[in-house]
Amino acid sequence: MTTTRFVQLLDLAAGLVLVTSFAVLWLRRLVTVTWVIAVQGMALAAVALVIGVYEHETELALIALMVFALRGLVLPGLILRAVRAGDEHREVESLINVPAALLAASGLTLVAYATTRDVVALSSTPQVRALPLGIAVMLIGMLLIVTRRKAVLQIMGVLMVDNGIALVMFLGTSGVPLAVELGIASDVLLAMFILQVLTARIRTKFGGTDLDQLRELRD
Amino acid sequence: MSPTGIAVAVLQVVLSIASAPFLVGMMRLIRARLEGRVGAPIRQPWRDLRKLFRKERMVSTNTSIVFSLAPLVLLASAALVAGIVPFLSTTSALDQVGDLFAVVYLLLLGTVFLSLAGLDAGTAFGGMGSSREMTIAAIAEPTLLVAIFALSVSTGSSNLGAIVADTLAHPSRAASPASMLAFSALAVVTIAETGRIPVDNPSTHLELTMIHEAMILEYSGPDLALVELAAHLRLVVFLGLLANLFFPWGIATTAQPLHLVAAAGAVAVKLIVLAAVIAVIEVFIAKVRLFRVPELLAASFVLAFLAVTVSFFLV
Amino acid sequence: MIGGALALAAGAALFAIAVGAVLPVRQRVVWVGLFTALCAGAGGVAAAAVLAGGNTFTADFPDLFPLGGVRIEFDALSAIFVLATAVVAVPAAIYGIGYSARGPSSRPAQVAWPLLVWGVMMVPAAGNVTGLIAFWELMALSSFVLVLAEHHHNPEARTAAQWYASMTHLSLLTIVLALAVLAHQAGGDSFTAIRAGTDHIGPTTATVVFLLSLVGFGAKAGVAPLHVWLPRAHPEAPSHVSALMSGAMVALGVYGLIRVGWDLLGGGPTWWGATVLAVGLVSAMFGILHALISSDLKRLLAYSTTENMGLVFIGVGAAGMFASSGNQPLASVALAASMLLVVNHAAFKGLLFLGAGSILSATGTRDLDRLGGLARRMPVTAATFAVGSLAIAALPPLNGFVSEWLLLQSLVHSLPSNAAVVAVAMPVAVAVVALTGGLAAATFVKAFGTTFLALPRTVEADQAHESPRTMQIGLIALAGVCVALALAPTALAAPLQRVSLAVGGLADGRPIHTNGVYLQLSGIEAGLSPLLLATGLAVMMVAVLVVVRRGRLRRTVRDIPAWGCGRTVQTARMEYTATSFAEPLQRVFDDVLHPEIDIDVDHRTESRHYVQAIRYRMHIRDGFEHRLYLPVLSVVRRWGDGARRVQNGSIHRYLAYSLITLIVVLVVSR
Repeated sequence: MTTTRFVQLLDLAAGLVLVTSFAVLWLRRLVTVTWVIAVQGMALAAVALVIGVYEHETELALIALMVFALRGLVLPGLILRAVRAGDEHREVESLINVPAALLAASGLTLVAYATTRDVVALSSTPQVRALPLGIAVMLIGMLLIVTRRKAVLQIMGVLMVDNGIALVMFLGTSGVPLAVELGIASDVLLAMFILQVLTARIRTKFGGTDLDQLRELRD
Repeated sequence: MSPTGIAVAVLQVVLSIASAPFLVGMMRLIRARLEGRVGAPIRQPWRDLRKLFRKERMVSTNTSIVFSLAPLVLLASAALVAGIVPFLSTTSALDQVGDLFAVVYLLLLGTVFLSLAGLDAGTAFGGMGSSREMTIAAIAEPTLLVAIFALSVSTGSSNLGAIVADTLAHPSRAASPASMLAFSALAVVTIAETGRIPVDNPSTHLELTMIHEAMILEYSGPDLALVELAAHLRLVVFLGLLANLFFPWGIATTAQPLHLVAAAGAVAVKLIVLAAVIAVIEVFIAKVRLFRVPELLAASFVLAFLAVTVSFFLV
Repeated sequence: MIGGALALAAGAALFAIAVGAVLPVRQRVVWVGLFTALCAGAGGVAAAAVLAGGNTFTADFPDLFPLGGVRIEFDALSAIFVLATAVVAVPAAIYGIGYSARGPSSRPAQVAWPLLVWGVMMVPAAGNVTGLIAFWELMALSSFVLVLAEHHHNPEARTAAQWYASMTHLSLLTIVLALAVLAHQAGGDSFTAIRAGTDHIGPTTATVVFLLSLVGFGAKAGVAPLHVWLPRAHPEAPSHVSALMSGAMVALGVYGLIRVGWDLLGGGPTWWGATVLAVGLVSAMFGILHALISSDLKRLLAYSTTENMGLVFIGVGAAGMFASSGNQPLASVALAASMLLVVNHAAFKGLLFLGAGSILSATGTRDLDRLGGLARRMPVTAATFAVGSLAIAALPPLNGFVSEWLLLQSLVHSLPSNAAVVAVAMPVAVAVVALTGGLAAATFVKAFGTTFLALPRTVEADQAHESPRTMQIGLIALAGVCVALALAPTALAAPLQRVSLAVGGLADGRPIHTNGVYLQLSGIEAGLSPLLLATGLAVMMVAVLVVVRRGRLRRTVRDIPAWGCGRTVQTARMEYTATSFAEPLQRVFDDVLHPEIDIDVDHRTESRHYVQAIRYRMHIRDGFEHRLYLPVLSVVRRWGDGARRVQNGSIHRYLAYSLITLIVVLVVSR
């Protein structure tokens, strides 16, 4: 793989991770959003794969495979089940409207770029230059957690934050040891299961996962 | 400003005006076939125009001179843009006259005049169309200019000729994330500005949904023909911009007749492909509500904004 | 020659004041108008001479005031602002002859008018702190009198004057503070001495002076959040006065900011520019959104002034940022864009305010929802207002486009830059400039369309007549200036270079150079030829017309009634109003504007399925006023109530206060 081709592919895959996080904010149907999250996981896997192939690191390619399976297939599949199980509203409900969320997300992207300038200036490898994308994805994930009403979407937000962290790790350190990635992945998986069980129980108990309605329980 | 440059500009204007109705006819035919209808032949829009040109001029008694002036300004501004944009050759005499910003504001000039004409007759429909058209034009503006920003960051100039020449010199730039983001942003704006589905339905006359058609409801005969021709021309101009800014291959860098013929062939192929894609997409999606349009445009703005950020930081 | 022209201006102003105080009403209006025009014209000649020749003119009047003299220092930066003033003041003065004959012809108003014109022209000419403050106060006081000129039949004018007076005083206070600190630290009163003594000023002092002058001059420029007086005072003043206030007086805020921040202080860190830019961005968005939804024509224009000053601030702020990050050529382009916008804004905003005045005096209303169909009744006003509308919406081939183009070019070519804040700010700035451009187009389609097109909505609009000759001359002259500035911006290349050389801390170099009819920028590969664009448009229109005429078989035009949706008669009540025109955009920006909407539906008594009347009321609060000013005002009021307890009218208590004060003073100064 030539360097220019590597840079192009890397930028493309990392760019796709960012664009999918915008798409999550933009789209309305929960099922579609879940698919987009799956695409994001696959793009993340592609980032790892591209770096692995370019630097001839088999371990990274293995991680890519695992990321693909876990973040591209298993976790979105679980979320999809949760979405399908809750048959209340299939639409996203948000505290701020879609254009505002999109604009806020572009602001966050700028923040990500501005804050990582010094880090990027230190080394000029293509990986490091794409680093702000990971930070941006992380921030947008947090925005999703903050602004959305559905518990399901909060789960997706957590997943997105984690995708962002993973992207930063791949780009910043040229790959993490397999064991670390395994540990993190199992943590996320565990968290997902717990959240799943919790939402299911909330739903059976109160009939919905709208957070604003849940807050009334306190009063 | 050389004579050959002027000749190229005139050739571009004449060719794009002549081909615009055919392109629209083709899009209608594709839609008809996909929907299971036979459809009118490709030359039908030209026939309609010819018929309209032969009719009597009828002007509402409420109107002022703006009503008669608007079709002229609309068509003239679109035609001038067709002369500036490098469709056939980068040697058009008008290249230094205006850059991409001038192109955007010239097209806005046409929109403004048509909106004024919509208000001029004093009917409820005209005002409704004008108000909606200006709403969409106003919120599409940031996307347009920020996308231009993204294009000129990598090339260092907002002149169309310079951008095209730069892309020809560095072909890999066409596949860069910035370029692709800017392309998708401009594609969404093209759909909004030319009144295609999902923003506006060019074939509807239903009160609640129409935008462009509501504005021109009072026009008839030759004036209507001018407005329609201008609308077709604007479609060609926007698609041509999309095609040649991002995929300029085939464009002539000289003014030799042979090169120009080849360039005409190349740009025709690009236009037909883009138009066909739009026509096919139109069959499968529905028009969105008017107040969902800002969401669409906000998304396209975000794409353009990301294009700037990425093109600056990821050079 | 420059001195002679300035002396002539002063003489003409004095004569106009004398005439205004002495003559009876009819002659008073005519002679005041003529001499005011002469005063402004002489100032304009002086400015043109400086811009063409480039020599700074200085004169000293050391013993004018007991505490300090006045120095005149007329350089290129002063000249461009005086030129902008002359551009709007000469036509406005002539227009004022016809306008005052039916309106503000009282003695105070006629004396204050030449004073205001002279004051506005002399503020940039002042060459020392005392002179600047003296002329500034002269300008503030005379404009205050003029805002109150029509208060007899307009109670709104009194509230407006209150706001205006308090904001002007806030402005003056901060400016005096800033300049006093500056003069003290630099060790001199004249600008030359201050420039020489800048080295003695520490960064903290410089920052304090800069921030104080940003508040003071920003309040004059009407940028958010200090704009609250502007949409009140400008509509209430007589229209030719509004034209001068909006076209030239507010621009002096920009002048002061550049003079103090980048000339006297010699520029500062990047965040100075960034702050100015941020203020500009907020003002531009805020101003145009409120202009868009406003249905009072003069209020709309006033909010649009806030928007345009915001754009000028964007240019100045960008120039400051570029200068401090080391990109001097680009800084000079941004500064040139701002200066060109100042001159352009004087022309088109002056024109629009004069047009609004014609409409007001012909129909008695400024409410867009009560106008309509004036194009046939007032053709000259309509044509000139159309020119102004297209110009202010920055559409080619008129002058607004040229300055917008320059501004966009300077912002777009800022990247790549080594300063993070530049990289973050510029995409945002481009987006905001673009959005304000689009919204301005919508706003002025609304303003022109609902005023001049379609059917008149009221009897008053139906019976309107074209205004008197002097008013038409004013309108046509300003429309001519707009067209001239549009077609020949190349003539301004050399003057703009002199301006950028005059501002030491901001820019050096040559922003624009001309290549025949092409306008080109230094260091940027971009060209524009407004003249050829206009020619191209004209050629295309003629070509289309020729082709259509030849091909058309029947050339007759049949006049028919508009389609009334199946009803036989079409009435003005079916028309879209200004409010309904802006409604979609108002809904898009719901979250920013927070409109309060009431809809009352009255049903017929027979059945509740039949509607008798629907009342729609919408009120949009000024967000800054509501959140920022009212809380402050209520605190002040509480203090006032407290003070009332102290001050109860008893003479004994007052004497006791004196005694206590005396004792305190004695003890303290022991």
